[in-house]
Amino acid sequence: MAGRDKPDLPAHRSLFRTILAPTVWAVHFLFVYGFSAVWCAKDWGAAGTLSWSITAATLLALALIVGLAVAMWRQWDYMDDNDYIHDLSTDEHRREFLGHAGFMLACLSFVAVVFSTMPAWFAGTCL
Amino acid sequence: MTRRAAAALCLLSLLALAACTGPQSALDPAGRDSATLSRLFWFMLAGAAVLWAAMNGLMFYAWRVDPRPMSVRGARTLIFAGGVVLPTVVLSGLLGYGLSIMPDQRAPGDGLRVEVTGEQWWFRVDYWPDGAAEPIRSANELVLPVGSRSEITLKADQVIHSFWLPSLGGKTDMIPGRVNRMSLEPTDVGEFRGQCAEFCGESHAWMAFTAKTLSPDDFAAWLTAEAAPAAPPRTDLARSGRDAFMAQGCGGCHAIRGTPARGQVGPDLTHLGSRLNLAAGALEVTRPDLIAWITDPSAIKPAARMPAYDHLDTGTIAAMAAYLEGLR
Repeated sequence: MAGRDKPDLPAHRSLFRTILAPTVWAVHFLFVYGFSAVWCAKDWGAAGTLSWSITAATLLALALIVGLAVAMWRQWDYMDDNDYIHDLSTDEHRREFLGHAGFMLACLSFVAVVFSTMPAWFAGTCL
Repeated sequence: MTRRAAAALCLLSLLALAACTGPQSALDPAGRDSATLSRLFWFMLAGAAVLWAAMNGLMFYAWRVDPRPMSVRGARTLIFAGGVVLPTVVLSGLLGYGLSIMPDQRAPGDGLRVEVTGEQWWFRVDYWPDGAAEPIRSANELVLPVGSRSEITLKADQVIHSFWLPSLGGKTDMIPGRVNRMSLEPTDVGEFRGQCAEFCGESHAWMAFTAKTLSPDDFAAWLTAEAAPAAPPRTDLARSGRDAFMAQGCGGCHAIRGTPARGQVGPDLTHLGSRLNLAAGALEVTRPDLIAWITDPSAIKPAARMPAYDHLDTGTIAAMAAYLEGLR
């Protein structure tokens, strides 16, 4: 089925869906920094437990981001027509542009979430 | 630019290498932590050099060697490999390596315990040997034993400072109301220079300290001497200087152990004469420098808290300088 024949759902026009993955990254980032700061300040327990909690939050965030990436990949529908230039004022081009941008933002967010977790794996102490 | 000008610029840039050694260089390590940091620097620099050469090589290739356009498919592959895969792999590697050295940098000290407090604009240094009920107080000079890891507690009085002794290790902020910590393990005997590395007011640039590393035996002897009260003045000039020091109320701010001077506002002067610097690295402990400092501290360090004593006659100030110089 060619791209122009596909249904154009309201979700396909949503800018918010496009930036959901970076939003997951932002929330994860805030959680990692805030939770570590409070955990260490209040002396809630071993740093190892903190490290595991952060890793669990990271796995959750990565799962969400992968889910979003798959959705955006489908919306881009690259395998259909190998189209990565979306410069026309049509429903198809808007849908594919938002999907393309959303997919790349999801890839960036994936790497960023891994990077913000790495200090927790290496530091190993609150000090 | 002509070839000659380019060559001259290259030669001039060699001058920057002068900063690679000396008493305040992270590239001339004398401690375990600074050695690790120095290794990190060279590793990162080598990585940057490889990337720089590769980028310029590619540019040269596309511009001079084979300027024909690539196929669309080849260009896409190149952009994906060079713009997405390569940076992700390289940055992951560099971040991982950088983070892997963190735990050792934060290792707890099992040797001497020292507390350093950032004041405006000098460092209060308290040594806490094992079992001590009260500290051995000094200022603007940190003496550490070689071969063991000293635990250093960092505090600040009024504003934020940062404690940085590049020859021995990384830097850590000193924040009012907070107790920070670091540890240092010197490996070489020597004299070094540290500097406040966080803007803290008018005389921030004049807030430095000296560091001395000694063998464990020399350090034990030094600490015993440092714990002793001040040496009494030996000459008539120094004795009259001591009398002037007490009469002018200097003891309201400065302590000299073994005398009635017990003030804690300014630096402890008990063994000032044996230190490597005066006024937190701004001057040396010589009679002319002491005279200049007592006469008008703010002329040397803007906004220094110590008042000027230029109303005293020069003879009195010279006597005070003689007394202070003799406090070994």
